[in-house]
Amino acid sequence: MRSALQAVALWGRKAPPHSITAIMITDDQQTIVTGSQEGQLCLWSLSPELKISAKELLFGHSASVTCLAKARDFSKQPYVVSAAENGEMCLWNVSSGQCVEKATLPYRHTAICYYHCSFRMTGEGWLLCCGEYRDVLILDAGTLAFLHTFSSSQSPDWMKCMCIVHSVRIQEDSLLVVSVTGELKVWDLSSSINSVQEKQDVYEKESKFLDSMNCQTIRFCTYTERLLLVVFSKCWKVYDYCDFSLLWTEVSRDGQFFAGGEVLAAHRVLVWTEDGHSYIYQLLNSGLSKCICPVDGGVLKETIYPHLLCSTSVEENQSLHFVMGYMNERKEPFYKVLFSGEVSGRITLWHIPDVPISKFDGSPREIPVTTTWTLQDNFDKHQTVSQSITDHFSGPRDEMGMTAAITSSEYIPNLDKLICGCEDGTIFITEALNAAKAGLLEGDSLLKDPPCHVLLRGHHQSVTSLLYPHGLASKLDESWMVSGDQGSCVILWDIFKEEILHTFFLESGPVTRLLMSPENLKINDGQILCCVCGDHSVALLHLEGRQCLLRARKHLFPVRTIRWHPVENFLIVGCADDSVYIWEIETGTLERHETGERARIILNCGDNVQLVRSEPTLSVASETHKHKNVEQRSSSGHQPGLVPCPGLQLESSCKVSDATSIPRPFNVLPVKTKWSYIGFHVLLFDLENLVELLLPTPINDVDHSGSFYGSDILRRAKSTVEKKTLTMRRNKASCSSLHAEAQAKTSGDSLPSGDNNCKFPEESDGIKRQKKMKSSKKTHPKPSRKVDASLTIDMAKLFLSCVLPWGVDKELDSLCTRHLSILKLQSPVSLGLASNENLFSLMLPGWDVCSTEMKEHSGVNLFSRKVLELSNKYTATLPNQTGIPRSPDNHCNTLQQSDTIVYLLSRLFLVNKLVNMPLDLACKTDSRSFKVESVHNKGKFPGSDILNISSFYDHLKNGRNEYHTPEVDISLLKLISCWRDQAVQVTEAIQAVLLAEVQQHMKRLRNTPISSQTDPVAEHTICERMWISSKVGWTEEIELPYVGNSSPIETSVGPVKHGNDLNSANFQDTEDILDRCVLEESESAGQPRHRPWIAKVCSCRMC
Amino acid sequence: MATAMAASAAERAVLEEEFRWLLNAEVHAVLRQLQDILKEASLRFTLPGPSTEGPTKQENFILGSCGTDQVKGVLTLQGDALSQADVNLKMPRNNQLLHFAFREDKQWKLQQIQDARNHVSQAIYLLANRDESYQFKTGAEVLKLMDAVMLQLTRARNRLTTPATLTLPEIAASGLTRMFAPTLPSDLLVNVYINLNKLCLTVYQLHALQPTSTKNFRPSGGAVLHSPGAMFEWGSQRLEVSHVHKVECVIPWLNDALVYFTVSLQLCQQLKDKISVFSSYWSSRPF
Repeated sequence: MRSALQAVALWGRKAPPHSITAIMITDDQQTIVTGSQEGQLCLWSLSPELKISAKELLFGHSASVTCLAKARDFSKQPYVVSAAENGEMCLWNVSSGQCVEKATLPYRHTAICYYHCSFRMTGEGWLLCCGEYRDVLILDAGTLAFLHTFSSSQSPDWMKCMCIVHSVRIQEDSLLVVSVTGELKVWDLSSSINSVQEKQDVYEKESKFLDSMNCQTIRFCTYTERLLLVVFSKCWKVYDYCDFSLLWTEVSRDGQFFAGGEVLAAHRVLVWTEDGHSYIYQLLNSGLSKCICPVDGGVLKETIYPHLLCSTSVEENQSLHFVMGYMNERKEPFYKVLFSGEVSGRITLWHIPDVPISKFDGSPREIPVTTTWTLQDNFDKHQTVSQSITDHFSGPRDEMGMTAAITSSEYIPNLDKLICGCEDGTIFITEALNAAKAGLLEGDSLLKDPPCHVLLRGHHQSVTSLLYPHGLASKLDESWMVSGDQGSCVILWDIFKEEILHTFFLESGPVTRLLMSPENLKINDGQILCCVCGDHSVALLHLEGRQCLLRARKHLFPVRTIRWHPVENFLIVGCADDSVYIWEIETGTLERHETGERARIILNCGDNVQLVRSEPTLSVASETHKHKNVEQRSSSGHQPGLVPCPGLQLESSCKVSDATSIPRPFNVLPVKTKWSYIGFHVLLFDLENLVELLLPTPINDVDHSGSFYGSDILRRAKSTVEKKTLTMRRNKASCSSLHAEAQAKTSGDSLPSGDNNCKFPEESDGIKRQKKMKSSKKTHPKPSRKVDASLTIDMAKLFLSCVLPWGVDKELDSLCTRHLSILKLQSPVSLGLASNENLFSLMLPGWDVCSTEMKEHSGVNLFSRKVLELSNKYTATLPNQTGIPRSPDNHCNTLQQSDTIVYLLSRLFLVNKLVNMPLDLACKTDSRSFKVESVHNKGKFPGSDILNISSFYDHLKNGRNEYHTPEVDISLLKLISCWRDQAVQVTEAIQAVLLAEVQQHMKRLRNTPISSQTDPVAEHTICERMWISSKVGWTEEIELPYVGNSSPIETSVGPVKHGNDLNSANFQDTEDILDRCVLEESESAGQPRHRPWIAKVCSCRMC
Repeated sequence: MATAMAASAAERAVLEEEFRWLLNAEVHAVLRQLQDILKEASLRFTLPGPSTEGPTKQENFILGSCGTDQVKGVLTLQGDALSQADVNLKMPRNNQLLHFAFREDKQWKLQQIQDARNHVSQAIYLLANRDESYQFKTGAEVLKLMDAVMLQLTRARNRLTTPATLTLPEIAASGLTRMFAPTLPSDLLVNVYINLNKLCLTVYQLHALQPTSTKNFRPSGGAVLHSPGAMFEWGSQRLEVSHVHKVECVIPWLNDALVYFTVSLQLCQQLKDKISVFSSYWSSRPF
């Protein structure tokens, strides 16, 4: 269980494309939600003055979004559901931008309606869905699980559109649905709730053939409770709801296609077309009968005819496809709003007057456009400085002074290098962290210089794909890098010597993707590079041998999947038309060609086909390249993965999360969108990992450099952090036992082992593998670990720079810059959150001016006004005497500085964990993790998954243990838990805590008469640490977490041993208080079951 | 490098001209061709409703297998529904002849055909929106349209080529077993599906497993065609498939439709490839 990663988007000058396919306005009229063909959702804030500004981009779908709908009673929970072309469904919290639930069902929906009947239904309600399948599906709005169907007894077919009728008069909610063939069907809703819950068949109550095809919308007039507006693509009709008799048909003119409509008021309807026009009609009663209600039902026919009152239109480009919607007035200051979204990504709003009237001469009046906005507008207006990682690179510039556009990029985490391939064929390699800093921060003299880079020239056309083979298979040479270009040329580079090792000419169109064969597939004792080309061919290259092994050229459709069969040396190529080609690698012959069912079996069969993903260490990386549908669309417009949907079968390939799944403290994720070349980079910070990496450093230093350093620390560090590092280290030791081991052996080897350590919690069998990897790595020269540590600190600083709300207090800003050397931001950054499942949300430039309330603040990076409020609350609970450790001297030396940073980070991490924890989980966590642990405790080998859990468990505990006074501590925990309940967003909470902590720290810096007495507690913790580390050898690495968990008992013993009587007594007291408090405080984690659990451990280990 | 850039200046102008021709003329030509093919394909599916005069015509198919003649079926297809079915089954043990037929009032929808038909009409609708008067402005626009059309066509084809894999309890629970006039004996299961261009009928003969049976009971998973020996639990009973009879018959118009799908998919892909050729010259710009 890892918490969400903090992300920072480095947008360029161009906005990512957003071809709107679905649009809606939330019930509170504050947010517009759009879904795009590219698969992203965009949240736009809508001000009370009807000004639009894009706020946030949500990544979650890998295919085009087909529909959006609200998924809760909006006043209670601001949830929206989105469905994609490939059956993915996501439930989003649109106020925080987080995905609450995700499911993939084998159904493509075209319309979704939320239905909840509070007095008869338990749970969150239903999502009624229709689409490319028979009848109507009922999904659970909470879990997105399939509940039941409404089935039709007469001519079942696909349903096209629907609406829910709440009629006070009839006292029954009904569902009106129109099928693709134009059959109107009515299901009872409220009276069939029971039948649905009991899974009984529910058939339609009525059914009527409407005599037109391609129904777009059906709407019930709630004002008269009598009329029914049905919009077909070629006409719109008005029916009488009582008997479904046709009252009027209006046929479209000039080849226009109607796209939808809405009832504005009694006898007033609004109909819009696919090309962005809309028309408001007054429905007039014709001639003879002026009375609205038919005297004797059913007899009266053609009683109404429409009169055009007003119309709206967009300027020019009428040919593009529009999606429109209408939002009705509720209460002040709500407006009647007609809105439209275009394929080009433009949103247009019209404010519809309450009483639309035609001109005096009776001709229709044109309603002017109220607002219009695009994503690019946001970028133009607010992005004064391009933050793109590459814009600050002083590479070759053309006459215009513009650098060449980046066409592909790849990040190498071990080296912290970012490789970028450009349009003009050059490749440059920069240090990612420095480049990011140059883009984001101001002021540092170091940053004024262009970040050092390497320039590789060899390609003559734009570089379309890059691969760093060592990142995928550790056995390969670390200096190798492979690049492919538009002109079908593949170059093997030595990036250290900056020279070309070999050039392959493939002559088969752009190289769209480069892949590495799995480790166990070897030809001539070497791994194979697989190049997927633009002409749908695949070439296999042998890198060591510098030769081409196989040219597979028979594919008619783009290559979608590559599978390897290591036993028989087969290359299995899956194409977009679902056919499969099996090539024998050695002979280069086409062994088999299969289509249909058999092809699917071959591709999905995990037994005889050694899939790339079955190789644990490799899989994540190489699968990443396969399945990153949005992220790494290779730069050619058409792509191996078409739109992933084989029939309505579920995509069998598992969703492998991308780079985020490998826990690294810092990562650069290149993001490319479909059908376009506009890409940008996302910086990902893993707080947990950062803290883990930073904490053990001082201690290990002690271990290595002996007493001198140790005493130094003793003098400087205060107990809080020391103690924390200690516990952290103890439980961390289990996760990274090898890491520690390695460091114990050789200090020079620690960079790669640090990296190994990052990967650890991943796989239970990872340990052995890592060992192998490490031994193979030893041959390579290593940078010293000092570099590593400073790099990590730099990452931490960059992160703090991005998160800290600058500009709240000018003095504070300068103090931060001076004492913590955290640099100020040039402009607000676009923060984001990435959760583990390929889901992330990114703020867009200009998000900070979305809410008008913010304008009064000069805050450069203030997430919301709430932050200040929260921050004050936090400060109030924060005790004065505790907090950041400070050194006796006021000099801001690096050690103290990094201590402070570590302290801040660990704080933020804790907050992140607490706020992110789902509500129900929060109550259960301790018990569940406890159970898991105890179960595993009995088993002989605890897998690394429980290490994860236990480390989490410990983090919570640590968060508490580090304080002097437990009461304060618990009140802080309480406060943060409280924030979670109040739906405070993670970013808000993090900013607030950071602000408060920094303020606290700086306050002390400002008015510090320094008290330089050594803290006795610190002393005894150090002793205690030594005691424990001497007692617990590394041989017991697996059991270490339990030792970590049982710290309270041992700590109370430790000091006594060392004769530190006064403090130990105090300590024991506080410990007891702590326990008691926690027992009362059921919500906070961990402690209550502490004692019984320890008892269990003891019985286990001693007896 | 410099020469390459200079040469491309003149080249660029030519390419631009060519690209414009592609967008303005060639794309529409291909789209028209596509539409013609798909209309032809959709005619095969004989849409029911008022657009065609009178009730949809009925076709009879005699299903048999080349091997044995233990099962014979005559199925009547009306559009996407089976309106009549006559199944003759010769019991292998006693040569007793069993006969079942659909109830007069019932029809069985072949969902695969309906889905395929609907997907084709979706594709046609997508294309109909882009007639000659429509001007394509970028290549990406064409690619997107092609992607959408191809998605529908692939789905249409996949619906026919991949029948649903059902478990035996699912077959037993399906409405098809309740369709027959002399109700189906409890030891028989029937399933009808489309596989490629063929209408297939499978009849499973079952026998109950004794609770005391020493046989290792392992319920079988989902499959298009279960083999003898497959076991499942139905109600409180454990059953085993003893005999499987599969008979099939080619539906000629389904064959046509599949060919049309394949041809139009290739057309789409070719158009995409043509557009992509130019993408190399417009790589950083919207093309």
